[in-house]
Amino acid sequence: MLERLATWSRKRSPWVFHINASSCNGCDIELVASLTPLYDIERFGAILVPSPRHADVLIVTGTVNAQTKDRLRRVYEQVPEPKHVIALGACAAAGGVFKGCYNVGQGVQDVIPVDMFIPGCPPRPEAIMYGVLKLLGEVK
Amino acid sequence: MINEILQAIIFPGVLFTIAMGFLFDWLDRKTAARMQGRIGPKITGPSGILQPLADFLKLLFKEEIIPSHADRVIFLFAPALYFLAPLLSMLFIPIIGPTPLAGFEFDLLAILFLLAYAAFVVTILSYSSASSFTTIATGRLVLQYVSYEIPLVLAIITAALYSRSLSVEGIVASQSTLWNILVMPFAFGVYIIALMAELEKPPFDIPSAKTEIVAGWLTEFSGRALSFLKLTKEVGYVFGSALAVSLFLGGGLGPEVAAVPPPVLYFVYFMVKLLLVGFLIFVLKTALARIKIGQATELFWKILTPVSLAQIAFVLVLIQGGVLVAT
Ligand code: SF4
Repeated sequence: MLERLATWSRKRSPWVFHINASSCNGCDIELVASLTPLYDIERFGAILVPSPRHADVLIVTGTVNAQTKDRLRRVYEQVPEPKHVIALGACAAAGGVFKGCYNVGQGVQDVIPVDMFIPGCPPRPEAIMYGVLKLLGEVK
Repeated sequence: MINEILQAIIFPGVLFTIAMGFLFDWLDRKTAARMQGRIGPKITGPSGILQPLADFLKLLFKEEIIPSHADRVIFLFAPALYFLAPLLSMLFIPIIGPTPLAGFEFDLLAILFLLAYAAFVVTILSYSSASSFTTIATGRLVLQYVSYEIPLVLAIITAALYSRSLSVEGIVASQSTLWNILVMPFAFGVYIIALMAELEKPPFDIPSAKTEIVAGWLTEFSGRALSFLKLTKEVGYVFGSALAVSLFLGGGLGPEVAAVPPPVLYFVYFMVKLLLVGFLIFVLKTALARIKIGQATELFWKILTPVSLAQIAFVLVLIQGGVLVAT
């Protein structure tokens, strides 16, 4: 009973913390676009929270480079359990257009565990919302 | 006896107050969304009305992280102490009849004390988490508190002076012929502005400024503590509006309808006024943008304090002159 209540509430209230791990800002603009009147992801209870301690879903954009690696890990550790990570965009998935640069790794999953990749350069807001909702469908 | 305990716990006591807090949060988000051309919470319950409940439960079931240099005792227990303030204050407000659940002769003073108590608890709570963002937020919190408190208390005192009573019950009863807002519109205005500062709603969300200091004094809180702090803010919202209704808008008083029993009618009038005051704040908060802390202090000290003093002088002249004296 309590379990079901917890699952219900988790599915209905995904609070998102967005971290920009050296992205080109394209993905970030599209993420913010999914909050605008046309898409309005708040319909599903998702809001952008200002502090990682309040978050349920961590959305990482951009290729993780040597500078942002430790910071990303630190922010990830500040998110209370249960937490989920979405890697947004081609950069976050594998380095994208920056792949092969001297300080760029293989994407987010090198640093922290990732639950979902949303591909695109940048992904459309529809794709972002589809991804978030699909992730919520998997939440137990 | 049983009846009174049930009243205190369920209706119109604790559970009702909490439910109203959730309702206010939902209305707040819906109003903001509609004003911005969005839809707002939609899928959680009919029109998303259960969204605040889902948020609350989710936070309750989440892990609670205690920062290593936080003061553990305060960090763990102060959210509950903070939660008590608006919950207790709500017991002094008459909701389903002219007598409140726990009113006494000087309960307005108790309410003023609880306001100061809440500000004090928030301050130590904010300090206890000991991070740079919360430290900045604490400074702003205290400065904002000393700014808005004087006009807020002056506005409340105006109503008490005119009604010649220090109990909420007496103030409501004195408005049976004429609502206080018609005698002291400026005191009502000052009260609403100071209330928004107390609730940290824009344009006074300075201590929790999202774009400047992460989440302000809430930054380090997670899980259970966060859920109670958010709930306290929502209940404080309800209480502030309920006090405005009682002091200035005649509580649940209104024209009598023969077919409806008095307690129901009283409750309906009270709720309508409560939602109207709430709606006023929702609209103002969505329409306005944050100001700087110096500007807020200036607004309260240089403009609103003289305005409320002038309002008090006006009311005193009315009382001395014997015109429009409350019954
Ligand atoms: S995926 Fe494309 S849009 Fe997104 S950060 Fe990388 S380069 Fe920019």
